[in-house]
Amino acid sequence: MTIQPYTEDQNDALQEVVNIAMGQAGDSLARILGNFVELSVPRIRLVTVHDVINTVTEMVDYKAEVSAVRQAFSNSLRGEAIVIFAQRGADDLADLMGYDTDLDSAAEQELLLEVANLLVGAIINGISETLETDLSFSAPSLMAERSPLDTVLVPEQLSWSHALLMEVNFTVEHRDFKCHLLMFMTEETIDTLRGILDDFLDDF
Amino acid sequence: MTDESTPSLLNFIVDRAHVGIFVINRQRELVLWNQFMEIHSERKADTVLGRNLFEAFPELPRKWLDRKIESVYILKNFSFTSWEQRPYLFKFQHNRPVTGGVDCMRQDCTLMPVKDDSGEVQYVCFTLFDVTDTSIYQSQLQELTETLREMSNRDGLTQLFNRRYIEQTLDTEFQRARRFRHPLSVILSDIDFFKKVNDTYGHLAGDEVLRVVSKRLRDGLRAIDALGRYGGEEFMLVLPETGLDGAKILAERLRQAVEAEPVDAEGQRLNISISLGVTELRDDTEDYQQLIAEADSGLYQSKENGRNRVTAVGAPR
Repeated sequence: MTIQPYTEDQNDALQEVVNIAMGQAGDSLARILGNFVELSVPRIRLVTVHDVINTVTEMVDYKAEVSAVRQAFSNSLRGEAIVIFAQRGADDLADLMGYDTDLDSAAEQELLLEVANLLVGAIINGISETLETDLSFSAPSLMAERSPLDTVLVPEQLSWSHALLMEVNFTVEHRDFKCHLLMFMTEETIDTLRGILDDFLDDF
Repeated sequence: MTDESTPSLLNFIVDRAHVGIFVINRQRELVLWNQFMEIHSERKADTVLGRNLFEAFPELPRKWLDRKIESVYILKNFSFTSWEQRPYLFKFQHNRPVTGGVDCMRQDCTLMPVKDDSGEVQYVCFTLFDVTDTSIYQSQLQELTETLREMSNRDGLTQLFNRRYIEQTLDTEFQRARRFRHPLSVILSDIDFFKKVNDTYGHLAGDEVLRVVSKRLRDGLRAIDALGRYGGEEFMLVLPETGLDGAKILAERLRQAVEAEPVDAEGQRLNISISLGVTELRDDTEDYQQLIAEADSGLYQSKENGRNRVTAVGAPR
């Protein structure tokens, strides 16, 4: 069963909001790192709990081990962002972020949490400002460390049937670093967002 | 917020709440230092307000923390630290000095941007949470999990690795030795006339013999070696980074250690000895099962040739 939650106008508006917000996240990272950050075109999909693994695997084409950080957002829109890091190159940002380049495992974890927080925070702020709606977020936490991609999300542990997924990936100029950011919004939020998008469209 | 929120009520709450709250301006000067911070740092507010945070507290990790503060000013976003990656920001005493088992308070910290009317960040507000209890529970849980995992790998009577785990270890070491082209040896050993000990003196005596022999074997090993109970009275040793010559020397030393002293069991002084078979990984070794089979044939030869001896299989280097 295909679900079309939004009209074409609403979809266009959503894409534009997400583009702005994701671009802001890339800018933020670049300001802190001092390096050029390249962003892919953000993708938006409606996923069911059954096809989420396939969708994620198709979008995040990392064959080797990954680490993943999750961070929840709430208030008008609720959901979780998951940042997936290719393990190789994760420590390539260490010096840019103010760490010694010789990282012990705690420092490496902290680095991943910090980068995830920068990205997710910037996106949440971007969406929040563009849609003129209040959003807040909580502390990030580690979901997976040096694990195969298909162990990061376990369908049996997911309590929803549909979610709105937004995805973008980041790479950093002259560095080995790359990561994917996946934002999942809950079913109730899909409804709430419809109203917010209409308000946004009305302003034009 | 409520209509009742007079400044004095809010001040009281910020000052007295059971979390650390302190605020710095763009120059990193302290502009607020609540009672929690006063008590735990043993520094009154009037001795630190107006001073640079890092100058007042030189033990803080300056480079990392200053960069983190700067990112809050630039990005206008929350930042966080967690005890799991960084046990504490400030080295404070915690409230479980007797029962806790940790040296100082574990802390989670939130950095909040405080914006003015034009949207610029004027201050960073820190909230510092005492999460020592959580960290203690987490450590206990991890210890317990580790104990459970250990127990599932150990033989109850002898406390050596059980058969499943010693074989798994051999499999892992075989692959590693193969991949990096390092030496590896295996010893199979069993207790001579063990059935007779059981039949003559009873199973309790047999159990004690097993325990004592296990201990003597374990005491003769290096940290890198693995020892498991492979069968009823049979033992397997996996010796990484060891070639046949070294393995033979070790095997002989273990044989002597078992023979040297009688074993006291159920009121008897029993003379116990072991037979051993030794083999090493060679280029033509197909799999780890072959190592076991070769060591076993060495063990068999030791038995045939009179027991209480070491037989090595394969050409010496």
